[in-house]
Amino acid sequence: MKESSQPAVDNSDALLVERTLAGDQHAFELLVVKYQRRIQRLIGRMVRDTDLVEDIAQETFIRAYRALHQFRGDAQFYTWLYRIAVNTAKKFLLELKRDPLVTEAAFRSGDEEDETSRPGNEPTTDETPESVLAANEIVQAVNAAMEALPEDLRQAVTLREIEGLSYEDIAAAMDCPIGTVRSRIFRAREAISARVRPLLEHQSGKRW
Amino acid sequence: MTQDMSKTRELVSALADGQLRGEEFARALALIEHSEDARAQWQAYHLVGDVLRSDELAADGTRDAAFAARLRQRLQQENPALQSRDAIELIAVGAYTSSASGRNHAEDPGANDASLRWKLVAGFTSLAAVMVVGWQLASSYGTVQAGAQLAQAGAPVQPVAAEEAAQAMIRDPRLDQLLAAHQQFGGTSALQMPAGFVRNATYERPAR
Repeated sequence: MKESSQPAVDNSDALLVERTLAGDQHAFELLVVKYQRRIQRLIGRMVRDTDLVEDIAQETFIRAYRALHQFRGDAQFYTWLYRIAVNTAKKFLLELKRDPLVTEAAFRSGDEEDETSRPGNEPTTDETPESVLAANEIVQAVNAAMEALPEDLRQAVTLREIEGLSYEDIAAAMDCPIGTVRSRIFRAREAISARVRPLLEHQSGKRW
Repeated sequence: MTQDMSKTRELVSALADGQLRGEEFARALALIEHSEDARAQWQAYHLVGDVLRSDELAADGTRDAAFAARLRQRLQQENPALQSRDAIELIAVGAYTSSASGRNHAEDPGANDASLRWKLVAGFTSLAAVMVVGWQLASSYGTVQAGAQLAQAGAPVQPVAAEEAAQAMIRDPRLDQLLAAHQQFGGTSALQMPAGFVRNATYERPAR
């Protein structure tokens, strides 16, 4: 299994934060779509119940939205969001531990802040065979699309998405202009998402 | 896909990589805000990126879409709170300077200018007010000046002996005799307090 937690580093997040603070809620929704899976995975390290994971993730984004004016841009937006998610999850867990009706099965015992050490493929309480199958379909579609890509497109998107290189660095590595890098990455994404989007539409019944 | 459409879609890819600034950034945001297809593209690109970095970030599309929809509803409830601060700032700035059309209305003629000659009346009223306030200030300035001079001059010092000589005796001479007879115990100093102890100390000085 690939396991690279190296996100693509950029400061477009700060620009989206600025737009949100200027009253553009859509800008914040872009940040949500960008980070919701990582935040849910992080919280999933601490909480076993999938419904709770989603509730905490929701609360995390709401808190982030309320506190957005405090984001100074000194750190990456995800780093800031990560701290909010961990604190929110801890608060939820404290409250849950006081609730005698909540079973131990709702909690995970591992290191809650370790984002990279998932306890195997342990299923969560609300994972259904359908949801697991749906996720596997997406993985297979992405992998198949990657294998089918021309070498230059695959290399460009790999350097960007997995290695987290900037366009400038990719251009230097591939010995081509930055415009070409941008175009290759775009074409690679289009080819891969052409296989993924039908699955998403089929699963959700509608688009985002 | 036409060349223009491709270029437009490429903007979303570049935005996902944080490569856009200024006009291109704004264009990409506007595109995503107004185009459902561009939003789906944004979601698919980030999902693909997440899956390329880690298989376990492949969530089923139903959950992702439901999460985003639920959060959007909550954000709309949050929005007035966040926007109120912006609204206050906008009102503060916009009320005086300009309207939404960007035109300054401060110089527009009033609807009743022609009939009531408000400008003339306001001018005379202002002038009268300035004169009254100025007159009062000038008067109080003179009073203050006089007070200051009195304070600087201080109370006139009169020689006590000359004063006593000039003034008629107004008390019973027997009182002076009584005081002279009991001067040792009833004397007062210039400090206006009994100072018999001073004299006592002087009197008790051992003779040589």
